[in-house]
Amino acid sequence: MSLTLIGITGILMLLFILFVFGIPVGFAMGIVGFCGFSYVITLDAGFNMLASVTWDTFSSYGLTVIPLFIFMGQIAFYSGVNEKLYNAAFTWVGHIRGGIAMATVMACAAFAAICGSNAATAATMTTVALPQMNKYKYEPMLSTGAIACGSTLGVVIPPSVVLIIIGLSTEQSIAKLFYGGLGAGLLLAILLTLTVYVLCTIHPEWGPVGKKTTFKEKIKSLAGAVEMLILFMVVMLGLYFGLFTPTEAGAIGSFFAVVIALVQRKLSWNDFYNSIFDTLRISCMVIVIITGAMIFGRFLAITRIPFDIADWVVALPFSKITIMAIIFGIYIIGGAVMDALALLLITIPIFFPVAMELGYDPIWFGVTITIVTTLGAVTPPVGATTYVVGGMAKDVPLEKVFKGVAYFLPAYIICVILMMLFPKVVLFLPNLLN
Amino acid sequence: MDFLIKINKFLNKMLTLTGGALLVGMILLTCANILSRQVYGPIPGTFELMGYAGAVVTAFALGYTQFTNGHISVDVLVNAYPKPLKRFISIINHGVCCFFFFIASWYIVQKALTLKNANEISETLRIIYYPFIFAVALGCLILALALFTDFLKALLVQKGSVK
Repeated sequence: MSLTLIGITGILMLLFILFVFGIPVGFAMGIVGFCGFSYVITLDAGFNMLASVTWDTFSSYGLTVIPLFIFMGQIAFYSGVNEKLYNAAFTWVGHIRGGIAMATVMACAAFAAICGSNAATAATMTTVALPQMNKYKYEPMLSTGAIACGSTLGVVIPPSVVLIIIGLSTEQSIAKLFYGGLGAGLLLAILLTLTVYVLCTIHPEWGPVGKKTTFKEKIKSLAGAVEMLILFMVVMLGLYFGLFTPTEAGAIGSFFAVVIALVQRKLSWNDFYNSIFDTLRISCMVIVIITGAMIFGRFLAITRIPFDIADWVVALPFSKITIMAIIFGIYIIGGAVMDALALLLITIPIFFPVAMELGYDPIWFGVTITIVTTLGAVTPPVGATTYVVGGMAKDVPLEKVFKGVAYFLPAYIICVILMMLFPKVVLFLPNLLN
Repeated sequence: MDFLIKINKFLNKMLTLTGGALLVGMILLTCANILSRQVYGPIPGTFELMGYAGAVVTAFALGYTQFTNGHISVDVLVNAYPKPLKRFISIINHGVCCFFFFIASWYIVQKALTLKNANEISETLRIIYYPFIFAVALGCLILALALFTDFLKALLVQKGSVK
């Protein structure tokens, strides 16, 4: 059997055991990668590779950034920062039509600047924002759609575990990806807010006006929320000026997140304990997928499949944009059926060389596929974020939540089109780092 | 079965607590290094220690993550299976994964022993680092134990339903 055929069989086997057997993604990639590598080289070489890659990945200094940023987000989550961010946004824009839904999107964007978890943002925003929107008789499709889609900003706006992993697996600067993600995330946040505005202009009854607040109340509402946003600025500026590495930024962020939460008396011992346990669980899950991807990557590398595919795709009689649109289509379909992180780790070794061969900027590609795959978090059948919102909004049927999400989908598509037409949207800030 | 679950719970709690303590240590060490760099110069071996501690943190959380169903899987199809098929798939899954991680653990131990016999030391701090590799092997072994428990759970439930 030729190496190319072995590689293709390996990819098909992986998809088979992922979908038909439901084996955890990291385990499945590890098992298929190990079997394929052993088949091509020898069983002994396979065992040695398994032990070496596991140790090398687990002990990689680069990967220590993951638990640190996750811990920062968990502390922010348990100390109730998102509630404060929402209250601040609500006080500022709640009095305009659809303002509470806009405030929800803004609070999601601000919380995304501290925490990279879609599910955590969706869960708290449903608890905090949905009762307010129900109180003002907001259309449930608008309220739940805004929460679900706003929550997806978590993986785009830095610090984002997905961007860190793209950086590590493509050997690109994490700081540049963070700044690229910041531009793209802000664009998406603006488009989501505009969607609320347009929907409320067409259907004024969907987003009735909230109560007016005084300027004094507006300023007062910032207390407790700005501290964490200042922390975000410190982390980002530190990276920008090269004062510290991403791992150090994560450590600084975690340390001061704990200090701020303690000073505000918002962090109990129990919250701290839960933050640690959640951090270990989430980061272990992520690092296991990375390790599996590394093992699978070794197998793919010896079959030369990624390079063969890149050569084949580039030789296709289609334009650059058409090929990129096909790749994005694959990511949208893939993101709809599997977790974004797992999808990216499986496909990056295949599509990253293609994008490079086509002459796309690596930072632009990394950020754009993050936006594209993030769609999967709200679309069926997986749509984890939508399920979180639907599960918590007991009186709103799940179909209605999905319908609400559908109103926001054009915002994602417009965002990707704008990023394709004007790559500077993503690359402006990273280029300043040069 | 209950005994096995209790052992799992106890071991995972101990390892996760140790991992948590190490995580806090990693944060403090990194912050101290940033501070020290401004005043005296960087703390030697910070990168190495962070890597080793990170390895232990991840390895010690392996069993706990499995125990709390924290590993991501694509269950779109599996959720639609009838119950007997779902149980059969679960037995296969947990059995195969348990065997895989047992093998992984065994070969990581072999790697650690090779480094121990060769008196291999780290580049900066010049310390032996095979104990950290043993810790990773221990994490994989505990994960194999958690998977074995899940395997037995699926197997025994199936037997019960046949009765």
